[in-house]
Amino acid sequence: MAWWRAPEVFGPWLLLAAALVAAPTLGDDYLAYQLGLYLLYGLVAQGIALTWGRCGFLPLGQALFFGLGAYVSGLVLKAAEVHSAWWAAWPLAVALPAGLDWGLARVLFARRSESGPFFSLITLALAMLGFQFANQWSSVTGGFNGLGGIPDLPGFDRYTTLYWLIAGIVLAATAGWVWLDRMPLGTLWRAVAEQENRLQFFGFATDRLKALAFGLSGALGGLAGAIYAPHQGLVTPQATGFQLSAELLIWAAVGGRGNSSPYGALLGAVGIGWLSATLRQSFVYWEVMVALLFIVVVLRHPGGAVALAAPLWRQLARRNGDEPAVAAPAMPGGTDDETLAFEGVRVQQSGVTILDGLDLVISTRGVHGLIGPNGAGKTSSFNAMSARLPVTAGSIRWRGRCLAGLTADAVARLGIGRKSQIPSIFPTMSVRDHLRIAIWAQRASGLDLLRGRTQRWRTPLPDTLTAELPFLSTQADRAAGELSQGQRQMLELVLTFLTEPRLLLLDEPCAGLSTHETAQQLALIERTVASLRATALLIEHDFAAVERMATQVHVLHQGRLLVIGTLAELQADEAVQRVYAGGRK
Amino acid sequence: MSVLSFEGLGGGYGDTQVLSAVGASLGPGAGLGVIGRNGVGKSTLVRLLAGALPTIAGTVRLGGSVIDGWPAHRRQRAGLATMPQERLVFDPLTVRENLTLHRRERTLAPYEAMFEVFPRLKERLALPAGRLSGGEKKIVAFVRALADAAPVTLLDEPSEGVQPENLQRMAALIGARREAGASFVIVEQNLHFLLPLLQQVLVLDHGRVVRSGPAGPQDRETLTQHLRV
Amino acid sequence: MEGLAVTYSLNLLYQCALLALVALGLAIVFGQLGIMNMAHGEFLMLGAYAMVVVQRVGLPLWLGVPLAALACAVIALVVERILIRPLAHRPFDTLLATWGLGILMRKSVEAVFGRGYQSLDHGWTGTLEVVGAPYPAYRLGLMAAVAVALGVLAWWYRRSPAGARVQAMVANPGLAEAMGLNTRRLAMWAFVAGSVCAGIAGALLAPLVRIEPAMGMDWLLASFFVLVVGGLGTLGGLLAGAALIGGTQVAVSSALDATWGTVAVLLLAILFLWRRPNGLVARA
Repeated sequence: MAWWRAPEVFGPWLLLAAALVAAPTLGDDYLAYQLGLYLLYGLVAQGIALTWGRCGFLPLGQALFFGLGAYVSGLVLKAAEVHSAWWAAWPLAVALPAGLDWGLARVLFARRSESGPFFSLITLALAMLGFQFANQWSSVTGGFNGLGGIPDLPGFDRYTTLYWLIAGIVLAATAGWVWLDRMPLGTLWRAVAEQENRLQFFGFATDRLKALAFGLSGALGGLAGAIYAPHQGLVTPQATGFQLSAELLIWAAVGGRGNSSPYGALLGAVGIGWLSATLRQSFVYWEVMVALLFIVVVLRHPGGAVALAAPLWRQLARRNGDEPAVAAPAMPGGTDDETLAFEGVRVQQSGVTILDGLDLVISTRGVHGLIGPNGAGKTSSFNAMSARLPVTAGSIRWRGRCLAGLTADAVARLGIGRKSQIPSIFPTMSVRDHLRIAIWAQRASGLDLLRGRTQRWRTPLPDTLTAELPFLSTQADRAAGELSQGQRQMLELVLTFLTEPRLLLLDEPCAGLSTHETAQQLALIERTVASLRATALLIEHDFAAVERMATQVHVLHQGRLLVIGTLAELQADEAVQRVYAGGRK
Repeated sequence: MSVLSFEGLGGGYGDTQVLSAVGASLGPGAGLGVIGRNGVGKSTLVRLLAGALPTIAGTVRLGGSVIDGWPAHRRQRAGLATMPQERLVFDPLTVRENLTLHRRERTLAPYEAMFEVFPRLKERLALPAGRLSGGEKKIVAFVRALADAAPVTLLDEPSEGVQPENLQRMAALIGARREAGASFVIVEQNLHFLLPLLQQVLVLDHGRVVRSGPAGPQDRETLTQHLRV
Repeated sequence: MEGLAVTYSLNLLYQCALLALVALGLAIVFGQLGIMNMAHGEFLMLGAYAMVVVQRVGLPLWLGVPLAALACAVIALVVERILIRPLAHRPFDTLLATWGLGILMRKSVEAVFGRGYQSLDHGWTGTLEVVGAPYPAYRLGLMAAVAVALGVLAWWYRRSPAGARVQAMVANPGLAEAMGLNTRRLAMWAFVAGSVCAGIAGALLAPLVRIEPAMGMDWLLASFFVLVVGGLGTLGGLLAGAALIGGTQVAVSSALDATWGTVAVLLLAILFLWRRPNGLVARA
């Protein structure tokens, strides 16, 4: 079924179209003019809903992009009155804000994924800077009084026909928003907001995903501004400052930034914005009340106004039936040389030596055990491989390739899969979505992420796994956060297998499981590693389990390799026993 | 009359339940050893008792009153002293400040006896605690917990990283306090250190109790089995 | 010529002192407690409006300072209970909730006082001779007050029992709790103290700047930048940040103009956030 045929998709959109057509027909031109203005603000708010509601990052200075688009558009239109060649520059009104937002995101998120709050601060600072530029640079922007005398957009009269252009753009933007949301890209954006770490371990370049969202958001803001200029005929510095940014944020939040975000944003802008404009003068405490409403929404009711109608849509929505599967592209198989080598690896943090010259070589396939007392450096060795801990000396090589300096997702793309100790999944997303994301990882190109067809990719692996773990299909539509502890561990294990990694880093995959579940989990690992002909490094405290599976066991102690051997050999080894029973060498 | 008792205790991190159905009871002057391999939940037990982690199930009683839901500082005031396993001192503060900042009277009087046992500690009073070695930090934390003279003291791996001669001194101090009626819960991997102090034992595996009850130095062999690889 | 150099240096010192004063409250709330209080600028603004209120009522102007402290203390106590404590360890939600709080405070003041500028009639327009160059006396007084305040605070933090407890809570909250320190109450008082500092700073600033409901924004950003560049958690970081930001602003503003000064500061902050997020002076 084509994505747009679902009732929960075309229903609201048709409603919107009907409302947009009805308004000027039932009202008068003045109504249309005012509505047009707030629809433009609604477009900007839709951009906020994209980065905030979907990706989880809060832009405090969105008006910057709106104002930038408005000023550029105004200048181009005025210049085009004289030389029509200037027309070619009009798309800059959209391209510049989009590029700025995208570039900013790329720079700030390149190495750090937790820059969220600081990113918000930077956008705020930029908005204020924009305001200052607009005020000071009078020769270009007209300074405090603004850029006036902006002519109409050719072919559209601002008081009558421009409305239809705006309505058309709003409908198109909304459709585009909804389309992207239902494509794999939308699913990935939601995953970024929930558990970015996990996405990186799959091999997704999350900073690029975020930058794309920000770029689109900037484009929306710029587009709205570009139409705003001929609509109002005047652009003042108020169009870029933080006051407008704050209002836009309130409208997006109160209208709703949850699942029906594009509609919520429009509702908020038109509803609250327009209401504020009329009531601001007469009712002096109106804005205080709106601010209070904002705080309440943020604290208690993050879905906003449209979330109130959510149950209705859920009734309408029909579940995706069995759709014909599409074979996913195959992953490259194993090569001959699949060796992991740690050479004199040293990791130090805050003066504490975590790894102290670790030498470790794993060159045979199958499961290898990694054991050692607390603080021996087991998880730290994994973290050093996945770019979570900086290596101060020595080198880590996988298939001859040095891992130093690579980002976590680049490491994953080399065929290294990782399962964390605490199940790391996307709590509000369905089991089905989890499996999809794992299949897309490292197989889907950028274009694939924009195609609905990609949603139907299948590989043979999950089908064999589902036979053993029936909950994968019986609970396919359940939110992962509602699964039991054991199911969540198993889900994450399955996800790790789905990317068909050549090296599996399994960090206590049975933590918190009952004895029965542990046995099940370990059997699964053993079978799958064998069928993938891959190598697995298993950190586990349950030695009976390790004994069953591991061909070789490596004992770490105080950041160094103590001894290697089979479990039987280690049990007879005095040095190992002493380390565990508390003696210190 | 038990000074500390807990039953059906369960707890974990986030949604992972790491410990279930753990219980024991201590009278005055008791020594409860908690042993088990890594990852079985020993430190989790200490955190649950100390109030650093909220319980998922079960009850804890201190001297007869139920202390469920009490924050850690309230438990300390009620007579439950804790020596954690990691992050033992306040790095930017001096050793002297580390020892006195939580007391009303900022004198070192309660520590005089300890300084006689650990003279090197007295030499280090003016140093920022962050500059001490791992073993020295353990001594500071140990001394501070003991000087509280609390009815119940929880020690999480007190011997880890400590030199043998200091281990003997620590054991002697614990023994002396036990004779004075104080009770101890000691999580330990080092059986050599633990056995002389042992009177009851709690052996954990996979988050559950596999053995509990009276125990002493005579149980060395069986207890060692629980720690072997 | 010498007079110009003296005036320039005094301006530089003045800017740095101003930044340190304004950022002090946030240094406590964000630097020590880790709370991103987006309403910090509004506490400053409230302090300034306290002076306006005192003037309107006809009382001596200096009473504005204790009024500012009182008003901010009361509001901070309420805010800490309702907004800050429930959202502990959730930085994004705290950012959002305090952003909303800031809007609320701004709009409330707008509703009562209107959006326009207020001005203070004060008689403190005299100048003092400093090395032969005349300089506004109020500014000199302010710089002295800031130096004294920072000195007192530093002494209190290092030497007093309460200061040691706050240091302990910041360095190792788990251990502090285990030792019997009520960290929640300590954190509450620290938040109140930071907000009161902001309020007093606003009151002291009032004679020097334009008072309007939106005045807090600039100061909020400046405070965050000072802390990001200088480093969170230490007095040295506050001073280093104030010096670097203040210095950059004054230097670029006098070479080009005030807007470029702001651009330079912004670029500097972005650079630090990107490359050296721990700032100049790392926490011990």
